[in-house]
Amino acid sequence: MTEVKLSIGYDEFEEGQRIGSEIEKLGSSSESASLTSLIIGDWGQAYENSSEEVVEALVTHSASFPALRKLFVGEMSYEECEISWITQSDLSPLLPAFPELQSLTIQGGNELSLSELKHDKLEELIIISGGLSKAVLEHIAASQLPNLRKLELYLGVEDYGFDGGLADLLPLIEVGKFPKLTYLGLKNSQIQDEIAAALANAPILDQLDTLDLSLGTLTDEGAELLLASDRIKGLKALNLSHHYMSDEMISRWQKSGLPVDVSDKQESDDEEDWRYPSITE
Amino acid sequence: MRPMIVIGIPGDKRTSGIQEARSDLGMPPAIILSYPEFLQGRSLGDLMEEQNNGVDLSAAPPLLRLESPGSSFEVERALIALGAPDSDDIDDSLHPYADRPDPRPLRVKVARQLKDMQGVLHHPSQWFRGYCRMLARLQREAKTACPGSLWLNDPTDIAAMTDKRQTQQILSEAGIPIPRPVGEDQQPTDYASLREMMLSRRMHRVFIKLAFGSAASGVVAYQIHPVTGAEIALTTVGVENYITRPPIYYNSGKLRRYTDTATISGIINWIYQHGAYAEQWIPKAGLKGKAFDIRQLVVLREACHAIARVSPTPITNLHLRNQRMSLSEAGLAEPIQEQVRNTAVQALAAFPRSGVAGIDVLVSGGSQQCFVADVNPFGDLLYDVKYRGCSTYEWEMKVLSARDYITHPSTPLIKEGLS
Repeated sequence: MTEVKLSIGYDEFEEGQRIGSEIEKLGSSSESASLTSLIIGDWGQAYENSSEEVVEALVTHSASFPALRKLFVGEMSYEECEISWITQSDLSPLLPAFPELQSLTIQGGNELSLSELKHDKLEELIIISGGLSKAVLEHIAASQLPNLRKLELYLGVEDYGFDGGLADLLPLIEVGKFPKLTYLGLKNSQIQDEIAAALANAPILDQLDTLDLSLGTLTDEGAELLLASDRIKGLKALNLSHHYMSDEMISRWQKSGLPVDVSDKQESDDEEDWRYPSITE
Repeated sequence: MRPMIVIGIPGDKRTSGIQEARSDLGMPPAIILSYPEFLQGRSLGDLMEEQNNGVDLSAAPPLLRLESPGSSFEVERALIALGAPDSDDIDDSLHPYADRPDPRPLRVKVARQLKDMQGVLHHPSQWFRGYCRMLARLQREAKTACPGSLWLNDPTDIAAMTDKRQTQQILSEAGIPIPRPVGEDQQPTDYASLREMMLSRRMHRVFIKLAFGSAASGVVAYQIHPVTGAEIALTTVGVENYITRPPIYYNSGKLRRYTDTATISGIINWIYQHGAYAEQWIPKAGLKGKAFDIRQLVVLREACHAIARVSPTPITNLHLRNQRMSLSEAGLAEPIQEQVRNTAVQALAAFPRSGVAGIDVLVSGGSQQCFVADVNPFGDLLYDVKYRGCSTYEWEMKVLSARDYITHPSTPLIKEGLS
């Protein structure tokens, strides 16, 4: 596998470098023909400029990347841009441009759209965001991705753009929507308990290897329903890490013999409010 | 070999670390003079007479080493009192910005009555004024009490290193790469002028630092959304609000994220009243979604111990919750590590009267360029890190004992005829 990451730093952007020309340059280089994985990092002050230029350039030069199977749009850390401030755009033109694509990862939910989500070969769709909009959930519900094996959605919180609810997620877990799905991640959510409750006995569990409900606000309430479910016993992995479950619940999971990850317990805010002196070195 | 005199807190980690290292190396113990007693008014000469155990300091004038004031509230309170407008000692000669008035200064009597409230930032600028007065007094008394003595780090340099405005100015003049300040000629003076400068210069992400903090005290990672005007401040500064008196600001162990203008402007204005330095937020190199900076120790022109402080937050020097790694573990290639070492050595060389400092070096994520973010005159308290088999104190004592101090320890090796 060959992988390249393109990124435009703050100073580079100020000096006039643009992601479009970087993509063009990569397309005309000798490595483009065999490139299997492309990561687009910061396209230049992504809190101000949308990913539209990325989409346009990739569509224009798609023929230069015949081997591309994996694409990540927006891999950047908080050192470059707040996730919730990353400005995306409609990424669906990428799909027909890369008919052999197998994996698409998107980071940032602002202005994100996937208006025409159709692809015969796409196996993985991962969206990392601080708040995924209801509109994007509707696009995914309306998608045609017959080969999808992994769907991982970081749903986020209302303050950063999550304006949906459980009802918007239910179409995604209907049996038959993604017939080949084996990995389902509905995670990083402020309604993690509701999601857990809805999934605990959902028929879709029968086709899954992995259920990922990590990084959210899961408490004993949702956990209790999961633990009581027979359907989760067929899973090869259940990821509940970063949670608000009690020690007792953690211990029940550990005794259950199930392949569950209950690491990274979160404490409530009050307990973390310790103070330190200024001068300690 | 010159005897060593340490002005510090007897029995704390630093003075004990030095004594252990000396004992392990078969060196005579350092003479420890009590920082609190000196602050209570005992003279350096008196303290020396009491502690020197018959060492003849005139035969070999000593090497003087000032330690960090540590986290002792007693010391903090004494320094705030010393910085009071009605203090007996008003020698502000080492204060780089002595003419800038401190906001709402506390008189000596009030300062002496301050209560120890965990983490509360009582009066940073008055603390620093008192600190500079103490440094000046140390310098004065050392000249008379032990003529010919030499400071490992000169009080003038310690004052300059403790004020970030002055540190960055000195580094910049010496040509050391530093994050670009917000406003080259004129720094902002408050929240409004900061925002105005950030927007007009298109520098949307900055670090604002209390000029004289350490350990992430009074540091704010601040950003403005140029389109929506939204703002986010990530900081360890916590606020307690009261109806009848001004808010209290404290160091919170939890990183806080503020998005409301009232709180953000309150914190930033408070920091600016005391003295602030703002610079470009350079995206730091990272590892698996975490960012790191480097603490590189420099001892007598040689870079030695180094650790990468890896953090899931922009504030990497917050002591808890951060992982420490070697530079190689953090994924830094050897040529970059070499660049870190060179940058740190050059940074300390900008302070020609100082021999030991911990330099905080940032490596930028994309271009892997090094920038100096801070120079810590007491940055050698590093645990669990070895250089050529030695702890930090062992290494320092070894290097110091190998030299005959004809000149200041930080002068180039070649002049001392030693390798």
